[in-house]
Amino acid sequence: MNHFNYLDSPYLVREDIKMAHREYWTTLASPGSWWTGKERTAIAREVRNATSCGFCQERKQALSPYSFSGEHHHSENSPDKAELSSLAIDAVHRIVTDQNRITQAYVEANSDAGFTEEQYVELAGIVVAVFSIDEFNRGLGLELEPLPSPSEGEPTHYRPSQAIRGTGFVSMIPPDGATGAESDLWDGRTANVLRALTLVPDALRDWTRLAAAQYLSMEGMANMIGQDDRSINRMQMELIAGRVSSYNECFY
Amino acid sequence: MLRVSAKVTETTIDINMINGERKEGVSNLEYGEELMKFAETLSSRNEIDLAAARKQLLFVAGPEVLVDAAGVAANFQRMVRIADAMGIPVDTKESELSNKIRQDLDLYRFASAENSA
Repeated sequence: MNHFNYLDSPYLVREDIKMAHREYWTTLASPGSWWTGKERTAIAREVRNATSCGFCQERKQALSPYSFSGEHHHSENSPDKAELSSLAIDAVHRIVTDQNRITQAYVEANSDAGFTEEQYVELAGIVVAVFSIDEFNRGLGLELEPLPSPSEGEPTHYRPSQAIRGTGFVSMIPPDGATGAESDLWDGRTANVLRALTLVPDALRDWTRLAAAQYLSMEGMANMIGQDDRSINRMQMELIAGRVSSYNECFY
Repeated sequence: MLRVSAKVTETTIDINMINGERKEGVSNLEYGEELMKFAETLSSRNEIDLAAARKQLLFVAGPEVLVDAAGVAANFQRMVRIADAMGIPVDTKESELSNKIRQDLDLYRFASAENSA
């Protein structure tokens, strides 16, 4: 199936956006570092369950999201319960619906229960990528793209040796650690948001490719005026960025 | 970034508008009001309001702007979740200007401010 044709769109979607979304769908279906293709697409399906999960809506109203028990919503005939642990399902739902109340204690408790930080980081990378692609379609009033068929194969279990604890909830590559197999991740200066998913370097590579199409490339971010291939200037972009971030109560 | 791009382009804006406060400033930005409404209604997941905001943005700015705005909004729906799910602190904790902006915007009320404490 040829994904992201946007044939149902009344608006012309830029080719680079189509391409980036299409490339991500191929990546999503393939085995990753810590999850199989089948598990990765199950995570993606769970992202869509989360957006309509009644339990998540109730939990979001609770004073503490960690003292509230219940069952997450699943689509009928959803195979995801068999593919993913309850801890992984809960993490998907929290990242989509209540991300700013995730704590270090929650991530560490998951790790102690066998849901490792490497799995958590890759899962988070999938959640945010799928969610943003779905949000693009929803923004335009379009149907969500059917999920890809998973590819066979095993995860690589690759963990960058230079990843260390010390920033945020999980291990990350330090600012001077973009070396060797990770030398492509950044050139010189970096930022915590770039380092955030580097325990699974491909997760960062995925989001920078998506960002280059949906927003700006790394090089493009230095241009504070605007790019010729965009119909809105940088200030208009940052107005949207700021309003979305503020609505989501993002301090970063 | 909004403040920097406004400074570079010598545009007067009230940065508080990103909190949804409609003061002077939005009108200095072409389609500012419509872009804000679009971003806000996408984030709030109110589909009726989103449809109205989409229609209005399309009416005043055209389909290219709508598509590019949807891309940027979708991108930041991702970025905020990366930052909070990984608990990263801000990079500019020591910057006086950045701290002033955070205070002006009252960002310390957000639960994720704890990650930068």
